[in-house]
Amino acid sequence: MGWKFDNPLYTLSDEEEVKQMISQWESEKHGGLWEGNNRLPYPLTWLIALVILTAFLITMPIWGQRPTAQLYAPMVELMDSPEVQRLTTPEEKIAYLTDRAMEVLEAMDDSRLPGLLDRHPINWLDLQLIAPQIREIAAAGGPYGLESYNVVGDQVVLANFEGSFRPDGLRERVQPWWDLGFTIDLFYVAYFVLAMVIVCKRLPPYTMKPDMSKAT
Amino acid sequence: MLFKYLMAKNEDIPPGTATIYFGFSSIFWFIIGTGLGSFNAAKLAFPDFVTGTELFAFGHMRQVHVLAVILGWISMAFAMTMMYMTPALGNTKLWSEKLGLWTAFLWNVGLSLGLFLLWLGFTSGREYSDLIWPIDLVIMFGVLVPLGINVWMTIAHRRTQGIYITNWFFGACIFMVWVVFLVGQSAELFNLTGLTEGYLTFWFAHNVLGLWITPVAAAIAYYTIPKLTGNPLYSHRIGHLHFWAIIAFYSTPASHHLLSAPLPEWLKSFASVEGVLILIPAIAFVANILLTMKGRWSMFVENVEIKFSVTGVLLAIPLNMQGGFQQTRAINWYVHGTGWIVAHAHLALLGMSSFLEIAAVYFGLQQMLRRKLYSLALANFHYWFVIIGFCIYWISMTIAGLIQGAGKIYEVPYIDVVVAEHPYMIARWIGGTMVFTGNLVWLYNMYMTAVEGTVVPKGRYAHELAYER
Repeated sequence: MGWKFDNPLYTLSDEEEVKQMISQWESEKHGGLWEGNNRLPYPLTWLIALVILTAFLITMPIWGQRPTAQLYAPMVELMDSPEVQRLTTPEEKIAYLTDRAMEVLEAMDDSRLPGLLDRHPINWLDLQLIAPQIREIAAAGGPYGLESYNVVGDQVVLANFEGSFRPDGLRERVQPWWDLGFTIDLFYVAYFVLAMVIVCKRLPPYTMKPDMSKAT
Repeated sequence: MLFKYLMAKNEDIPPGTATIYFGFSSIFWFIIGTGLGSFNAAKLAFPDFVTGTELFAFGHMRQVHVLAVILGWISMAFAMTMMYMTPALGNTKLWSEKLGLWTAFLWNVGLSLGLFLLWLGFTSGREYSDLIWPIDLVIMFGVLVPLGINVWMTIAHRRTQGIYITNWFFGACIFMVWVVFLVGQSAELFNLTGLTEGYLTFWFAHNVLGLWITPVAAAIAYYTIPKLTGNPLYSHRIGHLHFWAIIAFYSTPASHHLLSAPLPEWLKSFASVEGVLILIPAIAFVANILLTMKGRWSMFVENVEIKFSVTGVLLAIPLNMQGGFQQTRAINWYVHGTGWIVAHAHLALLGMSSFLEIAAVYFGLQQMLRRKLYSLALANFHYWFVIIGFCIYWISMTIAGLIQGAGKIYEVPYIDVVVAEHPYMIARWIGGTMVFTGNLVWLYNMYMTAVEGTVVPKGRYAHELAYER
């Protein structure tokens, strides 16, 4: 198990280890079969890099971001207004409210909010179900704002995320953008790539081609 | 003959007996499985076909078809290949022919009993783990454990220092299928309910495909392609990438089957990313095999085993492209619960996996029987019937799935969707029936090979003699 680290992208095995591996490689066939020592062609190496990038990008917008009460608060505020009352169908009411809420959210600092509302649309009936709960939370003026409450079905509940401690001793409940799935995957893929580099670089360098002419 | 050897001493059983028994059993179950598939497809295409009898209702028949294919055809074909490839790759003989024969015997008895009970309605009620727990225990301890012991002991008694890549997969996949099977059935064994039951059900369904059916099929290709072409496997190091990427990325995405379930969001997101990364082992596998074919592509036309093998490898490309992306939420909301998924499942089991196993069963039976294939023409007939039938099935169900998806999203009345799908259901039945017919011809061909095939001289391979008269 001789290691060397002077040129890790070439090989991680010392000369004696490489010699021993090649010697064993060249001495035996497996039921008449043997294996080459070729590298993955460059285009495919890049294709794998592209796959990893794609895997993250294609799932990025939906990574564990649940709808918060904050998204629907502008709608709740306007739902009893004369403008909404004048509209006759639930579809018209919710379309009007969504447009107004989107304007409010786009004007806020958190750039995730318009996208979140876009991915978590709500209908008039559901809005009527959660509206009293949102009003109650806002009126109570508790330690957590509407951004810390998730809408789960017809319930508005304090998010189960527990982050850093705040100055008041309570824990942060707002989900950070990187939370849920994202971090685990980054570590998981990074460890995998690292492990595969070590496994492959412990093999004889791909420039060494075993001569199988004497193998049995 | 079989019963004589079941009671014989291990030394008195001719090498290859277990292979032959498993080989013919697998073909038999393939015919049962595809026959039931054809029958079920007829019921979907022609709603008045066989009505009035509860036992022949779709709800009684569908899961029998699925498990006959997975546990009968595919898994027995795997066992068959393990019985001859594992010792061959270790330059040794099978650790115990007798254990192999008993495994095959118990497998056939246990599966027949399990499927009969399932047909009668004795079911766990969980998709893919439908068998009741006593049958599960028979399969675990009468089939999977002895199979594993035989394969591992053969590898341990090998006469080579290294272990060829096929045997890495065989050894590892048997261990993984033990874990998958036991954990997957735990919902029934321990009476788990609710979301836990749902998750475990699809944890089993996903992993039985990802850690058993797909990787063992790939392992078979690592043997058949170099063996038949005479070329060395293109790359040992790409084999490492394939093997470890399967372990890392195929074992983790089970919850992508349940994106609409109230599972933790982080679990679903994690699974969704890992689901796309399934493309990594797929790229490694397909590249390694197709590069091994270098200089021998004429065999794709001439040699029936290569024809089946390479077709299976090529089908791995659309299989993994679909599999990687259809499980992302952006696409899953459209295709979930539609015929698209049925098409994809058949691409995996009847397409990629079955084609690789058919090649290995053709090759293994000729080798172990020491007889040349009875009829190359019938084998080619088999190939074309299976590939054309499969393509008709796959394409028609994919289209039907897209129609269903559109109907679901745009809230088209259900009966209108049923009417729109009808031509594709007929096409599905035609395709499935072609596969079934091809398999009947295959069984005849292999039976005649055993009975009347030209004896292969010592030192020659059966496939080398294919064009010699």
